[in-house]
Amino acid sequence: MSTHFQQETRGSRSKGSRVTLASALQFQIVMKSKSVSKFRYLLNTACLLASAALCIVPANVALAQKLPTSSPASAADRNTVAIFAARAKAYVKLRNRVESKLQKLSKDSTPEQIASHKKAFEEGVRTARVGAKPGDIFTTGAGEYLRRMIRNEFKGQDRGEVKEAILDAETSGVPLKVNYPYPETKEVSAIPPTLLLRLPELPKELNYRFVRRHMLLIDKENGLILDYMLNALP
Amino acid sequence: MKIAMRKSSGLLLTVAFVIVSALMQVITLPQTGLAQELAKNPKAISAANPALKLALPLKEGSVRFAIIGDTGTGSNAQYQVGAMMGMYHEIFPFQFVVMLGDNMYGGEKPKDYENKFERAYQKLLNNKVKFYASLGNHDQTTQVNYEPFNMNGKEFYRFTKGNVAFYALNSTYMDKRQIEWLESELAKDTSEWKICFFHHPPYSSGGKHGSENQLREIVEPIFVKHGVNVVLTGHDHFYERIKPQKGIYYFVSGGGGKLRKGDVKANSPLTAKAFDTDMHFMIAEVVGDSLYFQVVSRTGETVDSGVLARQRKN
Repeated sequence: MSTHFQQETRGSRSKGSRVTLASALQFQIVMKSKSVSKFRYLLNTACLLASAALCIVPANVALAQKLPTSSPASAADRNTVAIFAARAKAYVKLRNRVESKLQKLSKDSTPEQIASHKKAFEEGVRTARVGAKPGDIFTTGAGEYLRRMIRNEFKGQDRGEVKEAILDAETSGVPLKVNYPYPETKEVSAIPPTLLLRLPELPKELNYRFVRRHMLLIDKENGLILDYMLNALP
Repeated sequence: MKIAMRKSSGLLLTVAFVIVSALMQVITLPQTGLAQELAKNPKAISAANPALKLALPLKEGSVRFAIIGDTGTGSNAQYQVGAMMGMYHEIFPFQFVVMLGDNMYGGEKPKDYENKFERAYQKLLNNKVKFYASLGNHDQTTQVNYEPFNMNGKEFYRFTKGNVAFYALNSTYMDKRQIEWLESELAKDTSEWKICFFHHPPYSSGGKHGSENQLREIVEPIFVKHGVNVVLTGHDHFYERIKPQKGIYYFVSGGGGKLRKGDVKANSPLTAKAFDTDMHFMIAEVVGDSLYFQVVSRTGETVDSGVLARQRKN
């Protein structure tokens, strides 16, 4: 399990495969009642179970096998990630509503247009999110889950240098304040891709970001700090 | 006592004047007679000035481009590299420039776009040379909408020139979405050359940063699987040509506006060639199955050059 959206897909797949499995077993019961030999019954069952299992395998199996993934999530983890993802999505809905009222920024904009759009976007979202506070998106449960994923990633012997690079980034002075802009004069520390693959995938408008040991959730277009989590890095 | 003080302040003023004059000369040097003469007869000037040697074949129909990384300081040194690129453009008219990230350090106000990019490469921009940017750890995502960076609103994108496909990646945030995009684009790419460019180097002998192992862990298998030929990166503020790794040519070229003097680790097993005593830019030319490259210092000295053979034939 690495993303909420994967979770959703996987959830629907599982549901589908449960249906397939149930139909298969019903079919087997019918077959059994017709006195089919025990051997054929077992063979058919095995084939159908294998087919059902194939439905659960992600389509992108070749890639999935190579990429590091977190250990299979429990039902509680799935629930936690689903809540986290729903809150992130709710924010995206809000910020999209704000952005839709602004003059659209084209992909061939001038620096002036980029700056004024960012400013208006930032102010619009700040107003719409007055009262936002730490933990609104990084819920307690999400925080625990993310910390566990981060801890697992940094277990490796070669991860010390990565941690050092994160801590070494020029991020001093970044305010740990929800609804405040991430200063554009400050460095954006790279998040190890191996870690990103463990964390719940965010909507494309949002990014995780480290500031020293703390993890921030950022809207990468208006630059606002949406939430933060203290001492996320072990 | 008063006389002594007057004398010393006078001396200080003179020293300051001399320094400022010298600096002004260095800044304006590339824009004076030499550039004008180059325009008239580039080959003659190139021959007359050993610093402007061209090590590329200049074949008709070839794909010609320049490479710069870690540029956006707005410093005199960045301008000097930009001016030297302008001069080389006259003897080697490259069609476009790929940018390896850190396009804008320390702020991105409209004035910064002007001071840290537009003015530094004014001559190239005037000559309709296109720039294709990738994002570094000092860049805001909003740069994707800046027209001269040709990112078309995307953090990672692909474009082709002749028989070469270029992939600009965002190595600061290499998430699943980007990895899947890269894999699917490469899988269907039939271009003869596939060149990926981004900020953080999977291989580097830098003392300050060095190889980004976690990034390499993820992207290298994809590069190998899909026959990526060349990888261009920055982040470490020097030039390094890496010995081919798993059949792929890697370059670190992060000295377009910043320099970390003496940062290349001595006797690094990765290094094929390194240059960390001045800033630089690269120029390259793809001719059929060969990629010629040349690395030029801020002062116009060629510090590395060569030709790479395409590893796999389609």
